[in-house]
Amino acid sequence: MTHVNMDFGGGEEEGLPSFSLELRTAQASAVYSDMDMQALLVQGLHRRQIPVFDFEDGLYERLTVEDNIAFYRKWFGFEVTVPELLVLFELQGCAERPLRKCSESELRRVHYAKAYIRSSGLIVFREPVQGVDVLTIRVFLRMLGRIKERPAAALVLLSNLEHALLLGDLSYKLQPSGLRPIETDEEEAALSDAGKTDVPASARLFRIPAKVDDKMILFDPPEIDYIESQDGKAAIIVDGETYMMDCTLAEIEKKLELYGFYRCHRSYIVNLQKVREIITWSKNAYSLRIDNKQQSTIPLSRSKIQDIQERFSLE
Amino acid sequence: MSVRRISAIFEKDLKDLLKNPMLLIPILIPIIIAVTFDRVTRQAEFPLTAAYMIIGGMFAVVTSGTILSMMSEENEKKTLRGLIQSPASLLDIVVGKSMVTGIATLVSLVVSILIIGIDAFLNVKMLAALALLFVFFLLLGVSMALFSKSTAATTGLLMPFSFLFGFTPMIGALNIVPENGIAGRALEQFPVMQALELHQGGSWTSLAVMALWTAAAACIAFLCFRKAMKDH
Repeated sequence: MTHVNMDFGGGEEEGLPSFSLELRTAQASAVYSDMDMQALLVQGLHRRQIPVFDFEDGLYERLTVEDNIAFYRKWFGFEVTVPELLVLFELQGCAERPLRKCSESELRRVHYAKAYIRSSGLIVFREPVQGVDVLTIRVFLRMLGRIKERPAAALVLLSNLEHALLLGDLSYKLQPSGLRPIETDEEEAALSDAGKTDVPASARLFRIPAKVDDKMILFDPPEIDYIESQDGKAAIIVDGETYMMDCTLAEIEKKLELYGFYRCHRSYIVNLQKVREIITWSKNAYSLRIDNKQQSTIPLSRSKIQDIQERFSLE
Repeated sequence: MSVRRISAIFEKDLKDLLKNPMLLIPILIPIIIAVTFDRVTRQAEFPLTAAYMIIGGMFAVVTSGTILSMMSEENEKKTLRGLIQSPASLLDIVVGKSMVTGIATLVSLVVSILIIGIDAFLNVKMLAALALLFVFFLLLGVSMALFSKSTAATTGLLMPFSFLFGFTPMIGALNIVPENGIAGRALEQFPVMQALELHQGGSWTSLAVMALWTAAAACIAFLCFRKAMKDH
């Protein structure tokens, strides 16, 4: 019903590149950018009188989860009943608990409920799933589904590429050079199949070079968590640190296949040795959980799910 | 104004009041002081100046204090962000909170007066005086509440306010202002002093003076509300 088309950039909005963002109803768009760019975009949205849910507003800490939700529901005259809302946001288990005794993830789900009750046509979230557990991400996805059914448009601002790919039907990357869509798996199937050729014979003494300032650092493949594509270049992630490489993802994929690495997404190569869990968000959304300190989750293309399950059952 | 929103905020704040010692303790204080006075003086008649000090203090600390701390906590924790979308919804919040404040005042007042001796208060003049005092302190509480940004600032604001308006009979007892000087005569006109005079057999003039105070408080509250709405 409501299409929102916003043109950013220009005179007042210093720092933002000029681009136009089209938000359609029944669709969730994700914008991936660094924190500075995100702050500028949020300012731009405020200037357009669009509320942004950034989870910094307070809740009533002395009251229980149920009392909080009952209050917001009544204040905004929302039609869905309190028990239904509690179940929708997986809060039935802590309904009687005062908020100051709730965990971060539970609090975040109360925030989701407040945003869900409050919002109307267009709903904008800033970093909604940062630092929360898998259940809460699942709840957020479920809520996005409900928002799309209303039908309304959703916009999610993230500084984490994995989350942007998971949450958005359409994902964009915002850089000083402009706003570009991030390709998702549909176009990608052909590309990865083409690359499966012969395996290099001499695999001993193999190191992956990466550049830090002007030093060259060599990584042992087993210590790498995963590799992601950033601006066409491969970036190695080891212990939460990112190191840029000088080649593309496709080039590195060929070299690393032998060490148990797998191209699980157009923009990701994962070290299968480090995969702890395959998370199923819905029939066509999957992630891999990496066994590192950050418990990173990286996207898994739906075309790859069959393949990866076979690999694990073989090994 | 929306009845739904007012009752939402009323229910929420009533539950919150019962869980908040910061608000519950002030309700008990006048009662405790009344009991203490009653025991210490051991007279058949409760000393009138002390009685009005308790009542005045009660209105200042409970009536003005409750709404002031409730609003400043909302401001401090940013819990109202996104809830206020129009002047009407700010008014709904103030009205809902005033109702909770009314209940808190009523409990504290009735119990204190029962200890002080309720018979003297059960006539039209005195009940009207108490009602006027309630409205006066509520409106001043709201005026301060609209601009109080933190609970810490609340205490700083409430202390001089309750000394001047609530504990007015005590200022006379302290002998710091000459009774027949300008300040002394001005203090005589303060609302709690007028209520005291009314109690001692004063005329309707006392009630009229109190009504004037209340009307002035209403004007201040109205101006503050308009200013607060512009800020939002």
